[in-house]
Amino acid sequence: MTALLDARGVVKRFGGLTAVDRVDISVGSGEMVGLIGPNGSGKTTLFDCLSRVSSIDSGSIRFDGVDITGHRPHQVARLGLARTFQLIRVYRELTVTENLELSIQWARVGTAGLFGRTDPATRRRVDSLLEFLLLAGLRHERAGALSGGQRRLLEIGMALMSEPRLVLLDEATSGVNPALVVEIADRLREVNSNGVAILLVEHNVQFVSELCHRVVVLDRGAKLAEGTPRQVMEDPAVIEAYFGAEGE
Amino acid sequence: MRPVTADRPSRASRLQGPRPRRFLVRVSLGLLVVLALLPTLPGVGDATLFTLTLMLTSVAVAVNWNLTGGFTGYVDFGHAAWFGIGAYTTAMLMSLQTNGPQIGWAAPPAIVIGAVVAGALAAAIGRATMRLKGPYFSIAMLGTFVAVREIVRVSGGLTGGGVGLTLPPYLNRPLFYYVELALVAGLVAFTWWLRSTRFGAALVAIREDEVGAETRGIDTTRLKVTVFSFAGLSTGLFGGLWAYQNTFVDPDIAFVELRTVDAVMGTMLGGLGTVAGPVVGTIALFWLRELLWAHLLDYHLIAQGVLLIGIVLFLPRGLVGILDPRGTSVTAMWRQWLGRGNQPDEGEPDEGEEEP
Repeated sequence: MTALLDARGVVKRFGGLTAVDRVDISVGSGEMVGLIGPNGSGKTTLFDCLSRVSSIDSGSIRFDGVDITGHRPHQVARLGLARTFQLIRVYRELTVTENLELSIQWARVGTAGLFGRTDPATRRRVDSLLEFLLLAGLRHERAGALSGGQRRLLEIGMALMSEPRLVLLDEATSGVNPALVVEIADRLREVNSNGVAILLVEHNVQFVSELCHRVVVLDRGAKLAEGTPRQVMEDPAVIEAYFGAEGE
Repeated sequence: MRPVTADRPSRASRLQGPRPRRFLVRVSLGLLVVLALLPTLPGVGDATLFTLTLMLTSVAVAVNWNLTGGFTGYVDFGHAAWFGIGAYTTAMLMSLQTNGPQIGWAAPPAIVIGAVVAGALAAAIGRATMRLKGPYFSIAMLGTFVAVREIVRVSGGLTGGGVGLTLPPYLNRPLFYYVELALVAGLVAFTWWLRSTRFGAALVAIREDEVGAETRGIDTTRLKVTVFSFAGLSTGLFGGLWAYQNTFVDPDIAFVELRTVDAVMGTMLGGLGTVAGPVVGTIALFWLRELLWAHLLDYHLIAQGVLLIGIVLFLPRGLVGILDPRGTSVTAMWRQWLGRGNQPDEGEPDEGEEEP
């Protein structure tokens, strides 16, 4: 499988703390990869590095063959890499529809488009995503008035709105009620079956096992294990990282 | 999790978004007609027109300040610098001399060049300062304002230094008034149009969550610097017009901090980040100031300070917000302040969501 995202030897330090330590990670086109690890293992920091929200101290990141190590986040997004956040980031004062309309693929918006209004194609895509994410009834609500679960769905919708080739999902089920988790899993499977690659940070290990083709485990900033969900769950090093050493 | 409701806009959400409410459009047009007819009324002399022209200038500065401070959330404490630069450039060009006879430029090109210089400097300074966030940006702009004023003060050969410059007098007050009225009306219409475009929505996205906007493909730096430069250019234009009708500039009157304070107060009183807010707020502030001046001569500045505190505490959405039933009213604010009500804009608490 061709690597759509290929990060090599990524290091990110905060003063004396090495939050990400020489991590290699790749995601192939159309692949769904899980990224798990205990709290503080560097998952979100790695996401920030991959989406260029944070700079890296060493290593390289390539997306679709392009070296994006020195890119700014909006340039990466325009190449087709979208992301969500652990702490939900939606535009609270804007309506659900406006949030989606603002998450278009900006690479296609020229200067004329910048000073234009929403075109019919964008409106159709918004409508279709609202239906897909069960938010059609809330299209005119302000995002700040939605519940946590609804905002999660909206944020996923905003990531999908730009027609990405890879989506980095940071704890997509955090704070979401169990019934909605099943819906989110179904939606992610459908998105993935349409060829969109997904890199998923999750604490819900069962969710990851059911969805992902491959799982990468981080511990204290470094890569601990990688393999199929079954291989990873049976790895003694992973068990120790999650539950502590046997006999402790 | 709330159940998914029927596909019907709520009362609150119908009234927001980029489309101005019909009521406000009617009020604005009515106000424009009244202001246009004012000079024809008996008893309205040059002094009144001069005061009204100054009010329109303040409205324009507030509308421009709101583009960065209100829409984008970058609170610029040095905005008056662009006004002073426009005023001084215009004054310098109009009062050019070579060993005696004046060879000064005509007013229109001098004012336009003044605006362009202010816009170009805003673009250059904005590229550097708009990388800063929150109070760091505000303080950097305050520093820029003070630095520009002092540069003008010490560059006596060009600017006349502390003595200032005198412009050729042209005292057609009705003409100044109508020119300013037309320009302010155009500026407000432009702001309304801008807010309705993707560009305007993206500015609000930057205010709401700049990191989120950037990761969704919005080139936030380009947009911020563009709108900041336009605000500088437009304020510089009104600075040039002001210099021409004032017939005199010196550093203390062209670069006065109160101009920025007025823009902030007027915008907050009217409604931060709204199109109508700076207009409504500045007119109200102007009227209120005249009232305080007339009745509380010794204490009018104290009263203005108390007013600003009151606005922040009780009217965070400003006068325009009172008309907006998004849960923000004077009584709701009172309840909130007294700790008896919920924050009107927070919505439901999240299930397990941490907030920064």
